[in-house]
Amino acid sequence: MQFAPNGLTTSTPSGKVNPNLAALGGPALTKRIPCWPYADPAGRHVVSYDEYVRTGGYQGLRKALSMKPDAVTEEVKKSVLRGRGGAGFPCGLKWTFLPKLAVDEQGNEQDPGQRYLAINADESEPGTFKDRLLMDFDPHLVLEGIAIACYACRIKTAFIFIRGEYHHQAHVLEEAIKEAYANGVFGPKGLLGGAATGRGGTFAVDCHVHRGAGAYICGEETALLEGLEGKRGWPRIKPPFPAIKGLFGKPTIINNVETVAHLPSIIEQGAEWFTKQGVVSSLGGNNQPSHGTKLMGVSGHVNRPGVFECELGIPLRTLVEELCGGIRGGRKFKGAIAGGISMGVLGPDQYDAPMDFDIGRKFGVLGLGTACPTVFDDQTDMVSVARNITRFFKHESCGQCTPCREGSGWLYQIMCRIEQGEARTKDLDLALEIATSMGSMPGTTICGLADGNNWAVRTIMQKYRSEFEAKVKPTFVPVKVSVGAR
Amino acid sequence: MAWITKPSATTKVEKRPEPYLTASMKDELTRTYLPRYETKHAALLPALHMIQHEYGWVPQQAMLEVAEFLSLPPSEVIDTASFYEEYWLKPKGKHLISVCRSIACEFCGHEAITQAVKDRLGIDVGETTDDGMFTLIELECLGSCGTAPVALMNEELLECLTPQAVVKAIDEIYAGGGKKHSHGH
Repeated sequence: MQFAPNGLTTSTPSGKVNPNLAALGGPALTKRIPCWPYADPAGRHVVSYDEYVRTGGYQGLRKALSMKPDAVTEEVKKSVLRGRGGAGFPCGLKWTFLPKLAVDEQGNEQDPGQRYLAINADESEPGTFKDRLLMDFDPHLVLEGIAIACYACRIKTAFIFIRGEYHHQAHVLEEAIKEAYANGVFGPKGLLGGAATGRGGTFAVDCHVHRGAGAYICGEETALLEGLEGKRGWPRIKPPFPAIKGLFGKPTIINNVETVAHLPSIIEQGAEWFTKQGVVSSLGGNNQPSHGTKLMGVSGHVNRPGVFECELGIPLRTLVEELCGGIRGGRKFKGAIAGGISMGVLGPDQYDAPMDFDIGRKFGVLGLGTACPTVFDDQTDMVSVARNITRFFKHESCGQCTPCREGSGWLYQIMCRIEQGEARTKDLDLALEIATSMGSMPGTTICGLADGNNWAVRTIMQKYRSEFEAKVKPTFVPVKVSVGAR
Repeated sequence: MAWITKPSATTKVEKRPEPYLTASMKDELTRTYLPRYETKHAALLPALHMIQHEYGWVPQQAMLEVAEFLSLPPSEVIDTASFYEEYWLKPKGKHLISVCRSIACEFCGHEAITQAVKDRLGIDVGETTDDGMFTLIELECLGSCGTAPVALMNEELLECLTPQAVVKAIDEIYAGGGKKHSHGH
């Protein structure tokens, strides 16, 4: 695997980027993966078990094993680590949804039975390519996070559901898992070969890679479980939620790759260290803060696309101008997908939007998503963008719910008509009506795919309405009627 | 497009004497995969991956064999196999070129890549060359938007592609340097 420096320049980025992060010990996720602005990506390689341990690896797990499982969960809860897969649901809170375990008079916990951890590595939303970096170069960081999550939630088996197209990454993970087994991280002897723990050191975890086979929908958590069970990836109706009844009907926790990769440093350095990074919600009230760093993958019309680890709250402009070397050809910013196409677009006047979990409420998009913006320059045809996005959703709709199955196809047809200049003004309203009735949280379908389609289409059509109007013919068509004698 | 029904009444299953699901595959499934899961059904994706990897497609006979081995109704196997895009239910060329057409790739020039492949091989998207060497498809996001445009040559990702680079990759395979590419070995 070679890193391809797409338009990479060797200028040093200004020191203005992430001064707070530098003071807190630098990036947590990419400390072993050279990334701008901390190091040159050309020096990337797969971090082996030995190198990982030499550079302080598995210390977080060691510390976790010296704590009670509930104390680990409590620490993660205190850090307000929000899920990095798109929805931003607090990870620690999700863990507490597992059935409570009774404690007998001697203080021994009841046997939890079989529970599962499913790691979502089905990264397939256009624009999103952040988890790939971790799996490409630092797989043990993910494995350590998995071990910590399993210990905290008393889970004995973890599956990494990785998308089918990630052939290389699946291979890297499998090799890393082999190394981890050989060194006693996983396996029958117990975590870290049965290192002394509050529970007698007998807590053993198994970890496996499960390869998907090319279906975007399997990134939806219940569709992922169906895929793990060998069935077609059709999302399940909730409730019951997976924490109660998930994989094979057993309690299951589903976490994103990047979420679990945060766990080792949170446990090692404490929740307080984590909450010093990022921003608190500016919306006030009970809104959750956006703490910690986030992998942000910038693609599209920028000089230096790639994945950067930044504190949440970094303005999009800083991300693009400072880290990505600005927009290609010195052109102007026209818009950006907020983070995976289902989140909708940020308009030309929203270049300064801070990349945190408040972005959805403040800037008229669905949310932060995966914080992987695709940037467009001023020569981009936004109608083509809409056509591309609707084609994606038409292609990836699983076909289970009628509004999504039919609506996504209709939207694509309308967008094609508009692009070819054959649509009429009324088609614009028709498209918006179809999009809205497909789903707008809470939607009309089982999963959120239709909502993503709706938000993408609606935000583009609202923020670039004039471009769409310029391409359509008027609805009123003058017809020449002969009323008299010739 | 799993909801589109197929004319199953007229389907004829082509059979060959030797099985597709070989003894060594069964052995690997039994030793490695079946112990991981609570149900036999869950080993279906790994089993189909093996078939796809080995033969480049998933023949009906192989699905029947997998169904028997995992004690599943054949309909369940076909249900799953037809849902996922990576399983080819019809034969394809020896090498598969999958050009990404999603948002970042389209706006960073995927069309020129597809066109270069079309011109080099004389086929359209979805077609296979007459010599059975190459099949060209376009698919949705390959998850490498930062190095757009990208394409998969079998199981190897080609990043920051140019029309010249993709033609060169094809020429290398034709020149015999492509042994490592066949079915992704």
